[in-house]
Amino acid sequence: MKRRDFLTAATSSFFLPVMLDGYGAKAFSPTSPFMRALAEVAEATDRILVVVQLSGGNDGINTTPPLDQLEVYLRNNFRPGVAIPENRILRLNGQNTVGLHPAMTAMQRMYNEGQLSIIQGVSYPQPNLSHFRANDIWFTASDSNRFETTGWLGRYLDDRFPRYPAAFPTAQMPDPLAIQIGAIPTTTLLGDNTSMAVVFQDPDAFARLVGDKPNVPDTATTPGYAGDRIKFIRQQQVTSVAYAGQIRTAAGKGRNQATYPTNNGLANQLRIVARLIHGGLQTKVYYVTIGGFDTHAAQTDANDPTTGAHANLLRNVSEGIAAFQNDLKMLGVDDKVVGMTFSEFGRTAVANGTRGTDHASAAVQFVFGKHLKGGLIGRSPNLSDLVNNNQLRMQFDFRQIYSTMLRDWFATPTSDANALLFKEFGTLPIFSDIVTGFDEPLFNTKNLRMYPNPTSATLVIENDALANSAGAVRIVDLAGREVLRQELTSGQRKVQMDVQQLPAGNYIVQVQAGQKSFSGQVSVMH
Amino acid sequence: MSLLAPVTRPLDATQAAHLLRRATFGPNAAQIRQFTGMSAANAVALLLADLPVPAHPPHPNGGGEWHGNPFSQMDEGPRTNSLKGWWTGLMASNEAPNVREKMVLFWQNHFVSTFQVVNDARFMYLQNQVMRRHALGNFRQFVIDITKDAAMLIYLNGNGNVAGRPNQNYARELQELFTIGRGNYTEDDVQAAARVLTGWRVSGYRNETSGAINVTFNAAQHDTGNKQFSASYQNRVIQGRRDANAGDTELAELVDMILAQPEAARFICRKLYRWFINFDITAQIEQEFIRPLADQFRQNQFNIKGVLETMFRSQHFYDAAVRGAIIRSPMELVIGTLRAFNQTPPEVTNVAPFFQYTNYVWQRSRELQMDLMDQPTVFGWRPYYDTGFYEIWISSTTLALRNSFSDQMVTGNFRVGSNRLGIDSIAAAQAAADPTDAEKLVDHFDNLLLAVDLTKAQKDFLIDTIMVNNLPRYEWTNEWNEFTRNPNNNTRRMSVKMKLDSLLTYILRLAEYQMC
Repeated sequence: MKRRDFLTAATSSFFLPVMLDGYGAKAFSPTSPFMRALAEVAEATDRILVVVQLSGGNDGINTTPPLDQLEVYLRNNFRPGVAIPENRILRLNGQNTVGLHPAMTAMQRMYNEGQLSIIQGVSYPQPNLSHFRANDIWFTASDSNRFETTGWLGRYLDDRFPRYPAAFPTAQMPDPLAIQIGAIPTTTLLGDNTSMAVVFQDPDAFARLVGDKPNVPDTATTPGYAGDRIKFIRQQQVTSVAYAGQIRTAAGKGRNQATYPTNNGLANQLRIVARLIHGGLQTKVYYVTIGGFDTHAAQTDANDPTTGAHANLLRNVSEGIAAFQNDLKMLGVDDKVVGMTFSEFGRTAVANGTRGTDHASAAVQFVFGKHLKGGLIGRSPNLSDLVNNNQLRMQFDFRQIYSTMLRDWFATPTSDANALLFKEFGTLPIFSDIVTGFDEPLFNTKNLRMYPNPTSATLVIENDALANSAGAVRIVDLAGREVLRQELTSGQRKVQMDVQQLPAGNYIVQVQAGQKSFSGQVSVMH
Repeated sequence: MSLLAPVTRPLDATQAAHLLRRATFGPNAAQIRQFTGMSAANAVALLLADLPVPAHPPHPNGGGEWHGNPFSQMDEGPRTNSLKGWWTGLMASNEAPNVREKMVLFWQNHFVSTFQVVNDARFMYLQNQVMRRHALGNFRQFVIDITKDAAMLIYLNGNGNVAGRPNQNYARELQELFTIGRGNYTEDDVQAAARVLTGWRVSGYRNETSGAINVTFNAAQHDTGNKQFSASYQNRVIQGRRDANAGDTELAELVDMILAQPEAARFICRKLYRWFINFDITAQIEQEFIRPLADQFRQNQFNIKGVLETMFRSQHFYDAAVRGAIIRSPMELVIGTLRAFNQTPPEVTNVAPFFQYTNYVWQRSRELQMDLMDQPTVFGWRPYYDTGFYEIWISSTTLALRNSFSDQMVTGNFRVGSNRLGIDSIAAAQAAADPTDAEKLVDHFDNLLLAVDLTKAQKDFLIDTIMVNNLPRYEWTNEWNEFTRNPNNNTRRMSVKMKLDSLLTYILRLAEYQMC
C-alpha cells in the first residue's frame, strides 16, 4: 500500500480495516448462542455505565461507620486513633444503623436526594486477600477458585458487539465501545481477543497524538509469539486511528457545566467522562481509577481520626462523584448514566498498631445515579460477629451487583447475564421501578410473539400466559421512562399497543404476567 | 532436560543480537559484530562479569553528594531526580555490555519499594545499593537483607510491626510476592510470619537534623511466643525467642523454612523467565526448563549468577519461537533506541547535561507507564504478572506516545547541553557493512533494531517507496556514492539524510520495533 492510501484510509470516518492485511482476515469464532439475542435487545439501550475503581482495598467500616454498634466501634482496643468519633459521623436521612465518614458531605447530600445506594458487606465465598488475586476476581467475576482471562464488562461488550475490533467502527456504532481514562488497560474490559476499551488520559491530546502519522504496510504473518504480538500492536494502531476523530469531535462538542473540585484526580477523570457523554459519544462503559486505599499505616492523622490519608481519599471520591452527578444533571444527560464503585476488598475490623488496617473481606460499595431506589441495601456490618478473628461477614456477592447492572441497567436477558457471569446471581433492588421488571422466571421467548418489528402503528404481543395472569405490558424509552402501558385483560392472550404517537426510535418492551416477565426491543419507524 | 542444554555452536549475528537485546538494554552495531562468532559461554561470561560499584549519585545542582545528609523536604525533589537520573545513566551507558543494571531493575520490580510511599530519597538509594550488591549474588542473603532494609521497612510497614498488634503487610508480600507465591501458604502463615518479623525498627527516617539511618532490632517489641506454621510448611514451629539476636535468628529460620520449599526456587525462576525469555510457561517449559533450573538454583545455595548463566546459554533461550515474544518495556524501548544509535549519556560528572539527558529518558518512560522506582503497587509493573502480560504496555495512548518518541529521536530536536539528542542517520548508515546497497542497508537495520525479520514485502516498501521513491534501486547507490565523494556538500548530505530519516521513522514505527 502507498503511504497516501494509508492516510486516506486512516482519516476516512468509516475506516476499513480490511485494507490492512492481517486485520480484515482475522478470523472470529461464530457468534455465541446468546449473542444474537443479546445484540437485539441490548442494542436498544443507550445507557452508560461508569465504573469507579477504588484501588488498594477500601476501609468500608470507616467509610460508613456503624451507628448501631458504637460501643464496639469506639471501644479503646478496637480502632484506637482510627475510629470516627460519634459526633463527627455524618447522618443519613431515615437511617440510624450506618452513617458516613465526615469527609463525605457531598455524598451525604446525594444519599438524601436518592441518588446514592449503599450496599453493605459485598464480597464472595472464600475471599482472597492478595491485592492481585482479589482484583482479578473482581475484574473477571470468577469464583475464588477459578481463573478467567476475560473481564466481565469485556465479555459483555464482546457479545453485544460481535466482531470487535475487526469490523468496527460501524455506522451504528461509530464510537469506542468503552473508554478508560488512564494509560494501562484494565482486565475488567478485556474481551476474548483484545481490550474493548480505548485508553487515554486526555481526549484532546489523544487525537493529536494518534493523528496522521506514517505507517508501514502490514503484510507480515509471522507465526507464534512474535506474530501474536505484532497482530496485537497493529490492531491497537488501527483502533486508535479509527476512533481518534470521533473522540476529538465529541471532546470538541462536549462541555462541562458544573464546578469540579480541584486537586482531585478522580474528579478530573470524571470531568472528561461527562464532557465526552455530553459531546455525544455512544460509548457504553467508562472506567476511571483512584488508588491509595491500601491503608496499612497512618490512615488517620495522629491527633485527629477524621483527617488524614483515608479522609482525603474519601473526600476525593465523594466530591468527585457528586460534581459528576451534578454535571450530568445540568447537561441533561443524567437519565442515561449510572455509576458504581468497587474495591478489591475491605479492611480488618480491628486496627493494627500503626493507625492502619490490614486486608480483610466484605466491604461497602456504592451505586450512584438518577434512577436509583437509593437507600441502604443490607445491614450495618456486625462488628461482634467477625470471621477469621477480624473480618466482616459477607452479605452480598459482588456479582449480584454486576448481574443487576447487566439485567436491570443494560436490559440484558437473564439467561445471557447468567452466562456472562458464569452462573445465576439474581439482582439487588438498586434501580427504581421504571427500569426493573426482569424477574424470574422468564417467558420462553420462543412462545412469546411480538410483531411487527419494526412497527409504525401497532405492536402485538402474544402469549398464553397473558390470558390468565395479572400484569401489564409497558413500553419504556431508552432513558427508562415509561411511555405506554396496558394492563392485561383476563382471557386475552394478545395485547395490542398503539405506537403511532411515539417518536421514531428504539424502545424496550417489558411484559409482566404474574410471576413471569419478559423484555425485548422494538423499533418504531414512521 | 533438553531445553536447558547449552548451545555449542558459535553465535550467529541474529543470536548475538538476541542475547544482547534480552540480557542488556540493547546493543549497538559494533557490539553485535563483537559478539557474533563468539561461543555462548564466552559471550555470557562477558555479560555476567563483575562491575565496580558506581560512584554515589551527584546532586543535580552542583554535583555534590547528598546521600549522607539529613533529610530535607525542600531538597527531596532534586534528590529524587538525582537518584532516578543516576540509575538511568547506569542503564543507558554502554561501554561494555553487561547484565547488571537490567538485573537491578528486575529486583527493584521484584522487591518493590517506591518514592511515592517511602518519601525519602536517601532510603531509596540505600535500597538501590542493596539490590546492586545482591543482583547477581545470593538470593537467601538478599531476602534477609531486603527484609531489614530501611526503605522496605517503611514501604511495607515492617517498622510498625510490634508484638500484640502485628502489621501483616510485609509478612504477606514476603510470601506472596518475594519468595514462594500465592497458593503455597495460608492466612495463618501470614499471621505467624508477621509475628516472627515483629520488633524491627528504623531510625533516621525523614530526620532533618541527622544523616544517620539505622535499622535495629528491639527485643522488647518482639513477639516471644512460638510461631506455628501450617502444613504448607510441614507444620513447622519457629520457636519464640527473647534475646537481642532473636530477630535475626527467627528471620533466618523463616527464610530458610520458605526457601526449603521447592516451590520457592521455581517461583523465582519463573519470574526470571518472564523477564528475560517469554511470558508463556507451558507444561513443557515448566517441566523441562523451570524445574531443572530451580533444582540447580537450590543446589547452588541460591546463587543467582549461576541461574542466569544456564539460562543465557540454553538452547531454548535462542529458540526462534521466543525471539520477539517480549514487548519492550518503556525503559527498554527508550534506552534501547538511544544505545542502538550510540546516544549514550554525558559523563555523570558533567552534571547539567547528564541530568538533562537522564531526565528526558525516565520521563519518557514514565509517560509510557513505567515510572522508575514508582510502581503503581507492590506487585510491580503489571506486564510482568497480569493477564495479557507484555501487551499491557500497549494501549491506544502509549502506542501513540511510543511512536511520537521515536519520531522525536529521528527529528532530534531535543537538546542536551549543546548537543542534539537524537539519531544521526548518516552515522547509523555508515555503521553498516555496505551502505551503498539499499537492500543490505535495510537488512542491517533489521538486525540492529528488530527482533523479528521483516517480510520481503515490507522491505520492498521501505526501499522502493521510502528510500528511492519508486525509482530504480541503484539510484540510492548513486546518491550515497555522490555523498561520500563530497561529504561537505550540504545538498548531497541532505539528500541522503532525508531518505535515511524517513526510512528510520518508518522502521521505528513498526509494530516489530516494539518487540525484543
